[in-house]
Amino acid sequence: MEILRNFPCFSLILSMCASIISSALNGKWARRLNIFVISAIGVMSACTLYFTFVTNQCYIYKMGRFSAPWGNEIRFGNLEAVMALFFSVIMLLSILGGRKHLFVEVDPFKENLYYVLINLLMSSLLALIYTNDLFTAYVFVEINTISACGLIMIRENGHTLEAATRYMLMSLIGSGLLLFGLCILYDITGHLLMSNIKEQVLLLAQTGQYHIPLVVAIIFMGVGLAIKSALFPFHSWLPDSYGYSTASSAAILSSLVSKGYIFLLIKIFYRVIGFEIIAESRLFNVLFVFGLCGMIFGSLSAIRENDIRRMIAFSSVAQIGYIYMGFGLGTKAGMIASIFHIFSHAATKSMLFIAAVGLTDASGKSKKFIDLTGAGYRNVIAGATFTVGSLSMVGVPLFSGFISKILFAQASVSVGVNKMLPTLIVLAISTILNAIYFMKTVVRIYTPVKSDYPTIPWKQDVSYAVVCICFIICNVVLGMCSEPIVDLIRSGLAMFA
Amino acid sequence: MSKSVSLLLAILFPVLAGTALLVVRKKDDRKKILAYVGVVLGITGVLVINALTTKETEIVLFELMEHVPIVLKLDGFGKLFLAIVSIVWILAGCFSFTYMKHEKNEKRYFGFYLVTFGVLVGLGCAGNLITMYAFYEFMTLVSFPLVIHNQSKEAVMAGLKYLFYSFFGAYMALFGLFFLCRYTTTLTFTAGGTLNMELVAGHETLLLVAACLMLVGFGVKAGMFPLHAWLPTAHPVAPAPASAALSGIIVKAGVLAIVRVVFYLFGADFIRGTWVQYLFLTFALITVFMGSMLAYREKVLKKRLAYSTVSQLSYILFGIALLNPVGLTGSMLHMIAHAFIKCALFLCAGAIIFQTGITNVDDLKGIGKKMPLTIWCFTIVSLGLIGIPPTGGFISKWYLATGALDSGIAGFQYAGPIVLLISALLTAGYLLPVTIKGFFPGDDFDYDKLEKCEPGKWMTVPLVILAALSVVIGMFPNGLLSYIQAIAAGLM
Repeated sequence: MEILRNFPCFSLILSMCASIISSALNGKWARRLNIFVISAIGVMSACTLYFTFVTNQCYIYKMGRFSAPWGNEIRFGNLEAVMALFFSVIMLLSILGGRKHLFVEVDPFKENLYYVLINLLMSSLLALIYTNDLFTAYVFVEINTISACGLIMIRENGHTLEAATRYMLMSLIGSGLLLFGLCILYDITGHLLMSNIKEQVLLLAQTGQYHIPLVVAIIFMGVGLAIKSALFPFHSWLPDSYGYSTASSAAILSSLVSKGYIFLLIKIFYRVIGFEIIAESRLFNVLFVFGLCGMIFGSLSAIRENDIRRMIAFSSVAQIGYIYMGFGLGTKAGMIASIFHIFSHAATKSMLFIAAVGLTDASGKSKKFIDLTGAGYRNVIAGATFTVGSLSMVGVPLFSGFISKILFAQASVSVGVNKMLPTLIVLAISTILNAIYFMKTVVRIYTPVKSDYPTIPWKQDVSYAVVCICFIICNVVLGMCSEPIVDLIRSGLAMFA
Repeated sequence: MSKSVSLLLAILFPVLAGTALLVVRKKDDRKKILAYVGVVLGITGVLVINALTTKETEIVLFELMEHVPIVLKLDGFGKLFLAIVSIVWILAGCFSFTYMKHEKNEKRYFGFYLVTFGVLVGLGCAGNLITMYAFYEFMTLVSFPLVIHNQSKEAVMAGLKYLFYSFFGAYMALFGLFFLCRYTTTLTFTAGGTLNMELVAGHETLLLVAACLMLVGFGVKAGMFPLHAWLPTAHPVAPAPASAALSGIIVKAGVLAIVRVVFYLFGADFIRGTWVQYLFLTFALITVFMGSMLAYREKVLKKRLAYSTVSQLSYILFGIALLNPVGLTGSMLHMIAHAFIKCALFLCAGAIIFQTGITNVDDLKGIGKKMPLTIWCFTIVSLGLIGIPPTGGFISKWYLATGALDSGIAGFQYAGPIVLLISALLTAGYLLPVTIKGFFPGDDFDYDKLEKCEPGKWMTVPLVILAALSVVIGMFPNGLLSYIQAIAAGLM
């Protein structure tokens, strides 16, 4: 049992080593190694989750010889473990689902580089989840950005180069702001470990000292991470980078990378500054307003879009808006709803990207709606997966999207009318907008036409079919058995503070 | 058989059987499919009867979320709904055995037809708001393929309209549901309402807005003004038996939902005397009148019938909105009568299209000479819809009018019966010409060219049964009436 305590650290180091080793392997072996590593991380995270769940407490794990406040630590409880488990599952499914496309879209000599980046990305996500040190978090934010850029760019065409540059610029502005905030915080508290900073911040708040620098630090960190996770109006980089990169990259970027930053933000709220102080700083109100705007404008842009991948990408903007709106409610229930939506959106969005790629394959690689007509008949499994994803996004009961909507609504009715009414109204409008573009697409892919494109039987790519079915199961499980997951999130948040 | 299994079986069996039909790829010959569908419909009928005979039970299937279980519960009103659904669904199913011969993709049609049956049974059994909402959404989704069955551009556009209106309505209702989660003691349907008055105090306006949104939202399915426009577009494009089922049953799902919300969650007392009630009454009356007017002007038979549905459904809603036992009794009676009558009317229209290809009312001269049995049925149920004794429509309208007069709501007390009367006249105006022209084609009708084209047994027998039912409930209403009155009295 005690050995399970080492697993978070093992999984971090394993994925970092794997990325180094992959650079020396050829594409085939790098892929095998990568799949092995991600599965191993999944298993280890599951063990960690079991461990924290059974003992029902969180653990601090010392990295290196120095103890606090100088050394580096990782820390894990229920929430961290379930996050890591979920991330590795989605990562594995996304990679397997877009495997065929990697062969075509990535230069064979660079295939191992792709896995180097994936492993790096995984390690940085794990570090963002587990670390208890703010500066380590910053370092891994940068690693995350760089590997994400690589994932976008590896397709090597004009669109992706441009998208990657844009992504790089915006992300660097975000990390710059984060770094500013971090420096100010270090300056006024003298610590980098999250728990130590929190003690000091509490003291500062009580004495009223350094009030303005503290608020500025909070704003810098909040805005920096909001830019990186594509909160409206900082989303302009998103559609291109999700729309043109290879399928696995798009799925991973939309469902995991942005969520890693959001998770870091949650950690900053709870573990670095403290929830009450953040609430006093009124950062939540700002996030709330931009979250609401994102919900509407993301969907409006998606409706106008004529390219299925970019449409799904714009829908991400709306969904990120939901998450920030939940933060903005400034209550624990809102936070739980947002975290559940992180899961729900990650599962659904990667599923949609993988399904969309199956549909475009059955339509001569075209992403335009006009060519996609009837694609649901030509690639049955992708069509079914896309339909389930759409229904979940639209909020049909028994799928995950419905649960997050209900959770958001329940959270909103317990706050004041000032926030409740806007939340509920925007939630309703955005749901209808979602329904417009997703149902439109579903109807289109099931509109029968005489088409020249060949039918793709599921036997042609068994692993793709399996991935699709796994995604569907994942979504339905989130939708039907949400209670244990919500319980986990709640206990995890309790361990956080 | 244990109680819980009997409910679950009645829902799952048709759904699974329908899915099997959709999924299995083998090219069956027509006879086998029809035999399969017939057997499934029969077994489902038996299962539903079995569920109806069990006592009132409550089964918690699983917890969807904390405090939000999926519950199946069959109460008096649910049983009534289930009974109507099964009768109409099985009869319209038998009708489609012949009718669907001239449509393509029969397998898909019957597959979704069966799945929808199961979902509707589930809707009737739903024990709390979330469960009902889930089945409500599923119903929209699985009935969508029935609407767009022939896949012409017109049908697909109509289907989309149906889908978007339904979703829009459902989300308005969902919006209200969010509030109800907070302000009720439980979301399980309980006669008399479950509002937690301590919490509600001070937030009445908010909850009234929520109630209003839910009424308008669920009213979309029931074709209530101002969101009725999908109905006359979507119903006529479906194959006739599907339009019969849609107009007979699916629209009633909206009524069911409204009854559940008003009487089982908010409680009649909360809404009585508020602006929500007056708005609801106004909308219902406007729809009654407008629907009849539009039907009167429409020339295409199926569209005319669809407009008639708009109008008749609002009779039912009007009775509900009166919020008194007599009005509610009238509503439930009209719900039953209208289900049989409208189904029969659409099936007649289907029979006419199937045999002669005529869709326009003006071309129906002499049709009664060609297909006397069909047009006789048409005439009998028409009389029922107009409300001429001894048909079912008379009893229900009688109760609706008495309910309005009893209600004592200034303005509506008299306006209600007057509008109902005018609308009844209009109903006669738009239904009887078919009979009149059909049986009395006039002097210039060429009797030599006349050839009998009565449809086959599979088509006429359901029609005769439905026509007979509509008369029987009017002639011997007492058993039914006391059953309904007991339900209505329990809700106030």
